[in-house]
Amino acid sequence: MAEQKQVVFTIDGQQVATSPGTLVIEAAKKQGIEVPSFCYHPGLSLQAACRMCLVEVEKMPKLQTACTLVATDGMVVKTDTPTVHKARKDMIEFLLSNHPLDCPVCDKGGECELQDMTFRYGLDKSRFAEEKLHHPEEKWSPLVYYDAPRCILCFRCVRVCDEGMDVKALGVGSRGINSVILPNRPGELACEECGACIDICPVGALTSGTYRYHTRPWEMTYVPSPCAHCSNGCKTTLGVRNNEILRANNRDRSGVNGEFLCGKGRFGFDFTAHAERIRQPLIRRNGTLQPATWEEALEEIARRLKQVRDAHGPASLGVIGSNHTTNEENYLLNRFARVTLGTNNLDHHRTADYAGLAALLGPQAKGSLATMADVYNADAVLLIANDVTQQNPLVAWQIRTAVRHRNARLYVLNGRPSKIHRKAKLLAEVPKGAERDALRWLATEQGQLDAKTIESLVHLKAALEAEKDVVVLFGAEINGAALRDLLSLAARFGGKTKFMALGDYANSRGAADMGLLPDRLPGYAPLSDAVERARFGKLWGGEVPAAPGLTARAMMEAAVAGKLKALYVVGANPVKTFGLTAPGRIAGLDLLVVHDLFLTETAERADVVLPAASSYEKDGTLTNTAGEVQLTHRSVDPQGPRSDFDLIRILSHQLGILGLGSAIRHRTPEAAFDEIRQHVAGYALSHAQLLGGGAEVSAAACKSVDPSHDVPPGAVFSSHDSLFTSGTMGRYCSRLNSTNEAKDTPWSSSPSTQSWWYR
Amino acid sequence: MSENRTMQLPPLLEAKFTEIIARYPVKRSALIPMMLYAQDQFGFLSDELLGEIAGRLDLNITQVAETLEYYSMLRRKPAGRYHVQVCTNISCMLRGGKEIYDHVEKRLGIGHKQVSPNGTFSLEEVECMGACTGAPAMQVNYDFYENLDPAKVDAILEQLQQGSRPKPVPVISGALHERHPAEVPVISKRFGIPDSRTIGVYLQHEGYQALEKALKQMTPDQIIDEVKKSNLRGRGGAGFPAGMKWSFVPKDINKPKYVLANGDESEPGTSKDRPLMEMDPHQLIEGMVIAGRAIGSHQGYVYIRGEYRYVIDLVEAAIAEAYAKGYLGKNILGSGFDFDLAAHTGAGAYECGEESALMESLEGKRGYPRIKPPFPAVVGLYGCPTIINNIETLSTVPAIIRQGGEWYAGLGTPRNGGTRLYSISGHVNRPGIYELPLGFPLRRLIEDVAGGVRGGKKLKAVIPGGSSCPMLSADDSVAKIGSMLGSGGTVVIDEDTCMVDVARRIMHFYAHESCGWCIPCREGTTWLRKLLDRFHAGGGTPEDIPMIDELAKNILGRTFCPLGDAAAMPTISIVNKWRHEFEEHLQGKCAYKPAEMISGAR
Repeated sequence: MAEQKQVVFTIDGQQVATSPGTLVIEAAKKQGIEVPSFCYHPGLSLQAACRMCLVEVEKMPKLQTACTLVATDGMVVKTDTPTVHKARKDMIEFLLSNHPLDCPVCDKGGECELQDMTFRYGLDKSRFAEEKLHHPEEKWSPLVYYDAPRCILCFRCVRVCDEGMDVKALGVGSRGINSVILPNRPGELACEECGACIDICPVGALTSGTYRYHTRPWEMTYVPSPCAHCSNGCKTTLGVRNNEILRANNRDRSGVNGEFLCGKGRFGFDFTAHAERIRQPLIRRNGTLQPATWEEALEEIARRLKQVRDAHGPASLGVIGSNHTTNEENYLLNRFARVTLGTNNLDHHRTADYAGLAALLGPQAKGSLATMADVYNADAVLLIANDVTQQNPLVAWQIRTAVRHRNARLYVLNGRPSKIHRKAKLLAEVPKGAERDALRWLATEQGQLDAKTIESLVHLKAALEAEKDVVVLFGAEINGAALRDLLSLAARFGGKTKFMALGDYANSRGAADMGLLPDRLPGYAPLSDAVERARFGKLWGGEVPAAPGLTARAMMEAAVAGKLKALYVVGANPVKTFGLTAPGRIAGLDLLVVHDLFLTETAERADVVLPAASSYEKDGTLTNTAGEVQLTHRSVDPQGPRSDFDLIRILSHQLGILGLGSAIRHRTPEAAFDEIRQHVAGYALSHAQLLGGGAEVSAAACKSVDPSHDVPPGAVFSSHDSLFTSGTMGRYCSRLNSTNEAKDTPWSSSPSTQSWWYR
Repeated sequence: MSENRTMQLPPLLEAKFTEIIARYPVKRSALIPMMLYAQDQFGFLSDELLGEIAGRLDLNITQVAETLEYYSMLRRKPAGRYHVQVCTNISCMLRGGKEIYDHVEKRLGIGHKQVSPNGTFSLEEVECMGACTGAPAMQVNYDFYENLDPAKVDAILEQLQQGSRPKPVPVISGALHERHPAEVPVISKRFGIPDSRTIGVYLQHEGYQALEKALKQMTPDQIIDEVKKSNLRGRGGAGFPAGMKWSFVPKDINKPKYVLANGDESEPGTSKDRPLMEMDPHQLIEGMVIAGRAIGSHQGYVYIRGEYRYVIDLVEAAIAEAYAKGYLGKNILGSGFDFDLAAHTGAGAYECGEESALMESLEGKRGYPRIKPPFPAVVGLYGCPTIINNIETLSTVPAIIRQGGEWYAGLGTPRNGGTRLYSISGHVNRPGIYELPLGFPLRRLIEDVAGGVRGGKKLKAVIPGGSSCPMLSADDSVAKIGSMLGSGGTVVIDEDTCMVDVARRIMHFYAHESCGWCIPCREGTTWLRKLLDRFHAGGGTPEDIPMIDELAKNILGRTFCPLGDAAAMPTISIVNKWRHEFEEHLQGKCAYKPAEMISGAR
């Protein structure tokens, strides 16, 4: 874009140069001049409704709203005059005329914009002597309550729901002084339950069902954490009081998610305090799992692991890691499996082919991987095979916002329905499961597809080939060989292409980056590479075996068949994930150990279960699906469960005593992260930046391109979680599950989302 | 998306729906008319009905509900078979509207927004219905009954009770009268000619000659120049030069353009668009086609307030005639110019008279005003260039084209050309609609044309151009005090009227009609309404008097649209000019009539 001439205008005596089209309210902010407002919200459409931002402008007879006034050359704006001060005071007086003064019991008290504005700009007395209006409070859902008298009608909620979320569940009812916010069903909301309306409400009109009347904001401490659920890594601020998480919200909007947080991030924290949480180790005795001490449990595990290894060799051992555990834990688990136990039977439920992308991009990965910001800044986005609205809600938000703010062009190739499709410039709908074939056709014009599909692909191909810089997002269906097609298609775009593989869970990407894979070491170093094996072997005080191990699915099959004798599962539920239906213990296994928060289908079948901490209860780093690394913090003490980090570390000591491997000496996640920074490709990140609350972009990459990359069928697949599900943890998010939408499963395909209220 | 139909509708309504939807390039525009016509059929809007309409328009329930709840005429609960609506706004109030309302309430035994047990009647105290020159007035369903007194009301209700429909007024009262010598009939020329609304009569009286001239002898620029020369200013209230407005429409733009006629007439005291539409609809149609030609538009809409249903029917009939005779549609008069026109009903909202709110309403949304700039000439209906003029303004265009801009300008003042319709109401002997040249002295209008103050009383106050204007006392002049002629709705108030009550009633109107978008108007008008109620009822304090003035000034100039100013200006003028009347109220009573807590539209 050509350099645009700057506009020079004056505000409160200061000469300011700004780009053309800048609103006075924004220009003022940059100068450190606060122009108060309620209805103005950056990124949402303009309202000029609250009239708080009135300013004086020379040569204009009336006061002007700074939120709609575009700075022009020579304009002289004054925000600090008696007229402006009086206008603000009067506006506050009008607002307070019908606003209840129930601040002492209002959830928003202490963090209310109306309180703050009254304090700063308002009157010290009330002249309103008439009867105030009253409406009873309304419960719109278990999560969203509306208190009409408190509502100042800034319409931020209506706009964020419509423009930001594209849900349009809120509107304005009645007229004039009786205006109220309306939910989309009589007295009730039917929506995505994202709670953005609560977050954006400047007053206590919209309150959270999980938080209301629980505490005062100043009684909590605030702990920033990446959300524990999906792979998008939104920053959520946990409000903690007395070792209990009382609230999660998007308090300072400083995360990769900016304005956004979905229902899982906002309401899905209560699994941590769920009554069914495992709080002490369990050992199977006489056929049932019974409470045991930590000493008993760890001793039992170490002894029996050694027994199996001695009797059947290291290849009879398998380790399945987690999509939720931290990078440090995954890194330790890698060492634990390969060196301590001596097996490459190491995998996790892969929900996106991150390894494939790394292998095919090779050294070019750095700079070719899209960040969340890249999606927003994209001119063109190609989305293949994922219902991002449900599975990757932040990605969906970024796409919507890019379309809304920047007229970005969205192209979609999909075999399943998604709300995001209505933002698409071009949508190629293909039969369910045919995304790979369609992609192959786009890349090679070969393959068996029906005429209708081919016709839509022809249009898509033509449109894509006219694009320059494209951000390509793809779901689990595009894995292995299909990725090769994707790259050869992308090679034909005119400019710089960036990719993002869309995984399912909070550390899906981190699990792959840390090498929880049968054929790759941390940073996607090929296991076949003797130099890499030697490097990690040396680092980990042992030897990395050369033969590739089994995939998770193969391990489960081998376990059932009796070929695998011991299975060590950390934070995963492979029995459910891989569809084992036989009840009772897994027939072929001599030992099954599980770390988890809850007694999952896998844990139920275990010989020893260790209670584990969630990511809200431990320190470490998580890598979102875009490779952005963030620190997670121990916001509460889980009272019993231990972090997987501690469990692996302590167990390594036990095994060391028995002569298996060397004890892991890292006492803290920070120490392990230091090792990761030094030794895992693409993870040389600034710890200081992370401590500052930011996200650092990693780029785990292969040293050379591996064009033969492929994965076995069924090795990479998505759980297709919705906005109301999230693997095991999602099942224990009671508040989220109490909504009608959550009960209506699977929500995305239910007729209700097709019905007229959701248009 | 395919249309979603589940409900079996009566064939006539089904046909109406199809016809309505076909009128607009954007389906949602059909929402308000569809809801209103469906309500006429079923008595109210059930959830099922709303779902059906939403389905046909691809809308969700929020979009439908928020639009519905904005408009006074739309309802979700049944009304009576005869919905009796009594106006108590300023013009009616001055001539006993409140007494009529009380009388109906007593006779029917039901109150505001209540339905009689057998479902025959329902009652509503309503805001100005555009029958000011026929005050006091009421509507039963869509039928107007004017110049009422209790005996007439009894006769009407009696007839209704027996199941017959009393004959409504054929045309607005006060429009047909002997011409006053001072009158200069230009746009009202055909008033009173039998069947003046039909195309045959129109054609016999110079009809469509201007269109022929405009299409065949003039370029679009020449049309605009002629209108500029005429000094024609907008007759809706704001008085913006019409020709200049037209010239703002971008010429080379690859978008449709629209011509809108604003027939939302609801400024209290104003009832002059109604006769223009009911007696001379072809004049309006002709004006709109010429406007379309001038700006290169091929589609127009006449937005008419929902209460004027019979007027809408007449305009639609005239549009059909014009299509049949080739004055609308494709290749008009063989000129190659195409223009389509449709009438669009409002559903009860004063704010929709504001041009940008009108466009929102025409798009099927809540009638919220839009941020300006951009102005409608650049970004208007559906985001396209649009000119929007008052009914009277557009009705003037044929005469200007026929007889020339200079001729028209010469009829008026140097700054404001031609003639205009004054609707004068209140305490005068001959309330009515008179066409007079611009610059005609107000005092002569009252004393001579309208026959002076009724019953020989002394003049106390005058609302010069609709209730939004600062009020004049008996010895003010419009220009001197900075008031304005606004919409041409002059309301005369005699010496026996309580000015506190007038201020109170006016504020009731603006509080009721405030759209709720911006804080000062939404909160300020209701605060003042409650304060003035209390004050008039004898509950005032000395501090209240300056506070009324200050609160009004806190609204003035700070609101999103002019409605806030409209509420503030009369209030400020009343509380300052008749301060002594406020002070007298502090003694605990009204000097003119017993205090009534609630006597304004609710």
